Order: sequence, then structure tokens, then C-alpha cells
Amino acid sequence: MGGDSIPLMQNLSDRIAGLLIFLCGLFVYTVLIPWQVETVEYGAMHPETMPKIIAVILAISGLVLIARPTAPITTIHMRWIRMAMFATVLFAGLFALTRFGFVYTAPPLALAIMLLIGERRPFWLFLGTAGTPLLIWFAVAYLLERPLP
Amino acid sequence: MPDLSVILAGFADAFTWVNILFVLGGVLVGQFVGAVPGIGPVMAMAIAIPFTFGFDPLAGIGFLIGVNKGGLVGGAIPAVLINTPGTPDAAATALDGHPLAKQGKPLKATKMALYSSVTGDTFSDIVLITVAAPFAVLAIKMGPVEVLALIIFAFAVIAGLAGNSIVKGLIAAVLGLLCATIGTDPEHGTPRFFFGYFELYDGLPLPSVAIGMLAISEILRRMAEARGNVRAAIEIPDAQDHADTRISFREYWGCKFTMARGAVIGTFLGALPGIGSTAAAFVSYASAKQASKEPDSFGKGNLHGIAAAESANSSVVGANLIPLLTLGIPGSVSAALIISAFMIHGLQPGPLLFVQQGQLVFGLFGAMIIANVLNLLVGQIGLRLWVRVVSAPESFIFSSSLLLCFVGVYLASGGLIGIFIMLVSAVIGVIMTAHGFSVIIFIIAFFLGERFEISLSQTLALLNGRPAELLNYPVALMLFALAIASLLWMRRGNQSAAAKQSAAPNR
Repeated sequence: MGGDSIPLMQNLSDRIAGLLIFLCGLFVYTVLIPWQVETVEYGAMHPETMPKIIAVILAISGLVLIARPTAPITTIHMRWIRMAMFATVLFAGLFALTRFGFVYTAPPLALAIMLLIGERRPFWLFLGTAGTPLLIWFAVAYLLERPLP
Repeated sequence: MPDLSVILAGFADAFTWVNILFVLGGVLVGQFVGAVPGIGPVMAMAIAIPFTFGFDPLAGIGFLIGVNKGGLVGGAIPAVLINTPGTPDAAATALDGHPLAKQGKPLKATKMALYSSVTGDTFSDIVLITVAAPFAVLAIKMGPVEVLALIIFAFAVIAGLAGNSIVKGLIAAVLGLLCATIGTDPEHGTPRFFFGYFELYDGLPLPSVAIGMLAISEILRRMAEARGNVRAAIEIPDAQDHADTRISFREYWGCKFTMARGAVIGTFLGALPGIGSTAAAFVSYASAKQASKEPDSFGKGNLHGIAAAESANSSVVGANLIPLLTLGIPGSVSAALIISAFMIHGLQPGPLLFVQQGQLVFGLFGAMIIANVLNLLVGQIGLRLWVRVVSAPESFIFSSSLLLCFVGVYLASGGLIGIFIMLVSAVIGVIMTAHGFSVIIFIIAFFLGERFEISLSQTLALLNGRPAELLNYPVALMLFALAIASLLWMRRGNQSAAAKQSAAPNR
């Protein structure tokens, strides 16, 4: 029972991935290309030729993956919730960067990441939140004379 | 072929103090990050590339070459000492390196890894220097049809080798090509998929995509697994017999055939796009074991095992640059990152590089030789040091790496949209990796996408609706046939591998 469930799950995972790829190909062909690619009637290849070829291959490959999922070795187990949490922090950091700039965003961003990882030692927290941003500021703004975000 | 004066001027450029210092910096950084399990030279290169923007091209690219080469030596340290390869390339090194370390000879094992790594690397650099320029002369004579056939052949090889499913490889390549169509259409100059963001007129920035998919996605994955612990509990015994801490010339020379075999295997496989150094290390290890009079001693601390793995995985570095410099096709992730560095400095890798920037190319070759010498010197001194320095906690390493990526991509792409693209690429990279789609294929296809479309467009114009015209291009036909043959061959290999795997649980 247990031995059978892993291949079944893998098959399911590959089939869902195949379905998404198929839908992606369909979406690109029917929605994105008419919306986002200009129509030109001359030349050996039109601007939409390449995207259309890609969309067709994507859709066909998705169908093949649904029909013939791969051997049960490829799915890598990940902690999706924690990963989503870190990704959200990074996007929030980018948003803060656009509003407040590097100098005011980098220390709290580094602190948030370190605390979420589980770091509690004051020395390392200080080094990560003050030392690294200061070093980057010194290297980029002072030595390379390039503007920081 | 470039003039002798150009070659000599290139080497003279490399052997200036400033360039030597940059290469030394790269080797130091590379050995250090290679020694930290999970960080590795690829991530270090990805982070460092945008910072080389302000440097002289030779200094910047020399620095990255140093990181790459140093990383291969550094990767062997945790593989030998704690059986956790710092880089995937070093996994084969751990097979004999770690047992030798457990016998109380960790320095002997790491020094053998260092010497064989530098030997293999030097061999492949010599092959690169002697072979690349004549190859480039041939490559210049290739027309659009041949270039198109070559890119298709590269896709076929890469898609088949990078995973257990050709379909997944194909999907990864096609997704990369789709992302490459964002921006201006190369034939008509009309915008595609730019969604009103004029920053996307030039397409997605390669550094953003590469750093997002390779570095940020890996950091995200590792942060999700981390729990604030201090990694790399590496220890070297304080009191050891002198013979157990060094490699004598007799021991080194005793491995000469093993290292030579490994270097040839690594150079050959490295010159083919898509075959990584990990595969080269394992092929070399297996052949060394097969050729040995004492095959049973492999896996128990045999110096030949370390020499075979390290000479092969290091010789891939130089060989990877053969398709990159002669054809503009990156053979590996590191090569794709070096291409990003070339492009940041306004250089287009490919056969014309030898004509237009011959002095720089030979300067780069000089930097590679310098990196080998420095790798040996730094390794001699640094082996003991790295194992102590790398005990910094992951929380500090990851938060610092993320800030460096943010700033680096901002500098390279010239705007915050570059950081947004990097983060989106990272999310896509995580999802792709989790489902077995190769991000390496994606990035290589993304890079080659524009050239592929231009070649296809020019080929269609040349054929003018008459497919029979293809018969006038025998080289292209041969490459098309090779692409089909390699796909069929690899499909057969994958099927037999899948059959073995499905049979395994029943045993």
C-alpha cells in the first residue's frame, strides 16, 4: 500500500504539472499573443510566429506529461508554507525599498529574515542587521560611487 | 587566428598586479564559499557578477574565473571532512575522501583533492587555449542555417541529459524561450509581452533571471529548512603524524595515470554543452575503479578515488569555455553566468570575440592560468583556515547573501524592476525544481532564445519556402541528424533507467 502510494502521488503531481503547462500554452496562444503581440504582415517570420510555436509545443508537452508521467524520483519535498513566508518577506522588502530606500530598509529586512530563520544570538543579529548593510553601503556608495536603491 | 602580438598583449594584460589581485580575491572567495555546504561557487558568482560592473572587463571576469576555480577546490573540503559536499561536483570526492578523513588523515585527503584538482584544471586550460581559437575560425564560417542547427543540437543534448524526462527538459527549454521573447521582436523591432512596462523593451535582464533562479531560489529553499543552527562542525585533529598531513611526490606521481584519465574525461565531457562536472567526476571515478588492480579498496580511502574525481570535475571548468567562447553557447550554469558578466561589460561571446576582443580573450586565458597557480598556493595555506571560518551561522550567511543579491541586481539591471524580476524568477525556479524541471536548461534556453529566433528567421528567408534547399547545407543536416540521434539515444537511456528504478522497490 505504502509502496504504491508514492508513485501514484508522483503521477498525480506530474499530471497536475502537465495540466498547468497545457493550460499555460493555451493561455499564451489564445489570450496573451493577441493581446500583447503586434500584427505584422511582412518578413520571413512574424512577431507572433515564435511565441505561437512555443505555445503549441508547451500545450503538446503538457498533454504528453499528463499521458505519460515520469518515474517517481523527481519531486523534491519542500516546506512550502515557510518558503511562502520568506518569499512574502522578500516582496515586502522590495516594496519597502521602493518607498524608503536601501538605508532604511536593509537593516529591518535582514533582521526579519534572521529572526524567522531562528537566530536569537545578539552578536550575529547585530552583525547581520548593522554590519552587512554598512559594508554594502561602504562598498557600493563610497568605493564604487554608484547609487543604492 | 589572432596575431602573436595580440596573444602576447593579452597575456601581458593578465599578468599585471591589479588583475592578479582580482584573481586572488576570486580564488579566496571561491575557496571560502565552496567550503560552506550549500552555498557554492555558482551562488557566489551569481551574487558577484553585478558588482564586477564597475571593474575593468578583464579584472571582473578574472575575478569570476577565480571564484569558479576556487569553489571547486573549496567544495572538496566539507565533502572530505563531514561527508557533505560543498558543491555537487565534490560528491564523488566524498566516496574516498571521507573514509580517509575518518582514518585520521583529513589533511592528506584534502591535499590530494587540491593537487589533483589543480592538475586537471591546468590540463583543460591548456586544451582550451590551444583549441578555442582554431574552433572560432571554423565557427565564423557558419551561416544562419548551421547556427540554427547547432542551437537545436545543443537543446537536444541539454534537454536529454539534465533530467530523467526528455519532456520535462523540453518544457524547461521552451519556457526559457518564451521568456526570451519578452521585449523587442528581433526581426521587426515591435514590442512583445511588455505589459506597458517600457523597462521590458530590452527583454528580461539576464542577471535578474539567473540570480533569481539559481541563488535566491536556493536560499529560499534552505531558509525554509534552517532552524538557526550553526553549520559546518568541522574539526581537524591537533596532533597528527607528519606523513598523514601531506602528500609526498611519490604518492602524487603514483596517481598520474588516474589524474590524466580524469582530466581527459572531464575535458571531453566539459566541451559538450549540458554535461556537468558532477557527471564527469563519477564517470572518472568509475573508470579509475575499473582500471585499478585493487578495486575493493575504492570507497575505503583510496587516494586514486580522490584523484579521479577531483581531476575530472575541475577539468570541466576550462573545457566549458570552449563552446562558450567559440560558439557563444554556455555549456553549464557557471558558463551561463560568465556570459552574463560578458554582457554586463558590453561583450558578446561567440566566434567574433576572438576577432573583436582577441586581446581580452587571451587575457582571460592568462587569468585562468594565474587562478590555477593561486588556487594551489591559497589552498596550501587556506585548507586549515577555511574549516574554521565557515562556522558562521546560516542565518547570517543567507540574510547577507539576500541583501547582496538585491543590491547587485539593482546595479546590473539599473532599476527596482530588476529586483522584482529576480524575485519572480526565484519563485518560478523553486516551483520548477520541486517538480523536476531543470532551471539550468531554462536559463541556457533563455540566453540562446534571441539568437535562435534570429537564426530561424534568417534560415526561413534563405530557404524561401523551399525545404529542399536544406540539402545545400550538409553541416546543418549533419547537426540536425545528430540532434535527433542524441534525443533517441538518451530517450533509450532514460527508459532503461526508469525501468531499473521502478523495479527497485520490488526487490
